[in-house]
Amino acid sequence: MKLPPNVSKADFTAALTVFASIVGDQWVFTTDEDLDLYRDSYSILWGEADERTASAAVAPDTAEEVVELVKVAARYRIPIYPISTGKNLGYGGAAPAIAGCVVVDLKRMNRIVEIDERHGYVVVEPGVSYFDLYTYIQERGLKLWIDVPSPGWGSVLGNALDGGVGVTLAPYRNHFEAQCGIEVVLPNGKMMRTGMGALPGAKTWQQFKPGFGPRIDGLFKQSNYGVVTKMGLWLMPSPESFATGVVTVPRFRDIIPLVDIIGRLEQSKTVQGLWNLSSPTTGTPPFAAHEAGPPKPLDPTIAAILNNPAGVDMDQLDAAAQAKGMPFLACDFNFYGPTKLIQAQWDCVCDAVGSIPGAKFKLGEIRTMPLSPQDQATTRDLGPFGIPTLKTFDLGPMFSYEGADVVGHVFFSPVIPRTGEAAMEAMGVFAAIGRKYKLPGPPLQFPSTIFERAFLFAVGLPVTRSATVNAKIRDIIRELVAVSAERGWGEYRTAPAFYDLIMSTYSYNDHALREFLETIKDAVDPNGIMSPGRYAIRSHQRRVL
Amino acid sequence: MVTRRTAIGAGLAFAAVACSAAVGASAPTTRHRREARSIDALLIDEGIEMSRSLAAFIEARRRALPVVGIELDAPGQVELMRVLDKSQGIVGVSSGATLFCLERIAWDHGFRLTARSQRCAGETGGDACREDVAAYLAGAQLPAANSTPLARAYRPSRADGMLHAWVMHKTSAPFRQSRREI
Repeated sequence: MKLPPNVSKADFTAALTVFASIVGDQWVFTTDEDLDLYRDSYSILWGEADERTASAAVAPDTAEEVVELVKVAARYRIPIYPISTGKNLGYGGAAPAIAGCVVVDLKRMNRIVEIDERHGYVVVEPGVSYFDLYTYIQERGLKLWIDVPSPGWGSVLGNALDGGVGVTLAPYRNHFEAQCGIEVVLPNGKMMRTGMGALPGAKTWQQFKPGFGPRIDGLFKQSNYGVVTKMGLWLMPSPESFATGVVTVPRFRDIIPLVDIIGRLEQSKTVQGLWNLSSPTTGTPPFAAHEAGPPKPLDPTIAAILNNPAGVDMDQLDAAAQAKGMPFLACDFNFYGPTKLIQAQWDCVCDAVGSIPGAKFKLGEIRTMPLSPQDQATTRDLGPFGIPTLKTFDLGPMFSYEGADVVGHVFFSPVIPRTGEAAMEAMGVFAAIGRKYKLPGPPLQFPSTIFERAFLFAVGLPVTRSATVNAKIRDIIRELVAVSAERGWGEYRTAPAFYDLIMSTYSYNDHALREFLETIKDAVDPNGIMSPGRYAIRSHQRRVL
Repeated sequence: MVTRRTAIGAGLAFAAVACSAAVGASAPTTRHRREARSIDALLIDEGIEMSRSLAAFIEARRRALPVVGIELDAPGQVELMRVLDKSQGIVGVSSGATLFCLERIAWDHGFRLTARSQRCAGETGGDACREDVAAYLAGAQLPAANSTPLARAYRPSRADGMLHAWVMHKTSAPFRQSRREI
């Protein structure tokens, strides 16, 4: 029997017995066969002594059972690690942040508590997946869309708490920003509701985010101050139509005015749909991180410049692209809403971006929504239509790195200023490190525009089953993090193996932020039972161990 | 459903060559292996290509039990949930990538992978594959006498693009009942 850290076998056995009395024997898991499925398949520590594996798992069915489990965990000082569905591969999966925790698996709690078409919100339990919510809405013919991450099998609530993102309209893409109202079981077993939910019989819990007094919902994002058992989320009204418009500009340096112009369009809410940068010249697709693998064949002249071991000469690349009549940058905009609105938005984009010499524009068909079943079957990327899929797993055979089969990825996800200059700098910095270590992937990766006011780079680094190769990848990530921090770029999310590393970079004024988070932790969870180490937050007791 | 996948897929052939060392491996995967239990459905990955003979073999099975196409999208999920809710044992032919997803989805419904064969990788489902699928459907868990142990659960690997035959059985209560509203 694997024991939680600093827990005696007698106490652990006693706690498991009480857990079973709360949830039923069949919902307490201790065998290797069962616990194997709680391992993180994409762990960068796979098979090593430091791999974070669970000592047991327990699966409650109701928030009331969660309350009782937490009280028992507090009594026996058992560290617990709640997961919603545990499918955030690349960011930890179902495994705990430190080895030996008891996973509290919330996937049985899969109730859609309330859905309100008129006000556009839903209240869900942790076990509700994007597939569940999508199907529920479709079966009832509700005029609502959801914003889904890729892949879409995870928990709606869990993805929001983890800082997950999607690809539809800006107000819904940042999933935690779309939440409105949380129910949470605190480490002392007390249940609390945030915002208007603190008012018994509140009629506006999912309609008014600020509530009364400090807005504390953010304390439960990427943290360990409680078990969130319900969450409200704002949903998007079904749009009447959808269209994609593509803008191309001829030169690499056009990225500077392009980003500024689009930034103004977004800040004024003229553009709200996602836009993606790509390069017809370099063959870099939008969302290159999700297309990791060997680069696609390129024009030989372009390929020679791109693959220069000394680095890519962007001026040379620009000249080669123009000689061949290829635009360097493409930018595809997704538009949602009535046809008149889409046409007006597109006109605004054309007017604004038209100030860049050589810019060209093409608006695709304005398609009536919803997509027909036939269109769904033939559309590769259904994310912009709010439809969950798992097709990202079907990208083809894996490849190798350093002689070891690549079995997954771990993300390095820095946030970069929303300027063309910063994007160029980051592309150069990350491409140089990619070349240095011969990392698989496109030679040039463009930033993601998912966040409205900052760029995100989501660089998927290979995970293997070789401890030697994985150790090298961990070193590369440490280098990437250090290089980024020197430039003022911080990560927005990371895998458990790097929680402490990333938190150490948020060090302003002698780590004042971490100190504050630990002060809160000491106050609400003095025994450190709740998800110890998650996002590098520990109680005093566990800091001194 | 299966009839449109008649040709041997070039992509899968490539993957099979890369993983030739694994061909022939077939093994029970859990403690439940000795039990001969009924199979309620045959699940076929819609995203794969397979040999004509395997496609014909699967088509012929329709007379005996439901043959269900697996698609990892929203409409496919509805049918998959229905099958998982109603079945106690399922046999499948799928890519490794689909198996990885399906094993986790089926876990939520109380299923565990009880046997897996990679003998389908060669020729995208030749005679050996048919033998294994037939044995699985008949309730046998050990189609190959000389077997190499495989991982208990399928993990992402270079075999993701290859064809696998497998069996899952419901061994515990389902985590996920049909959705409930308060």
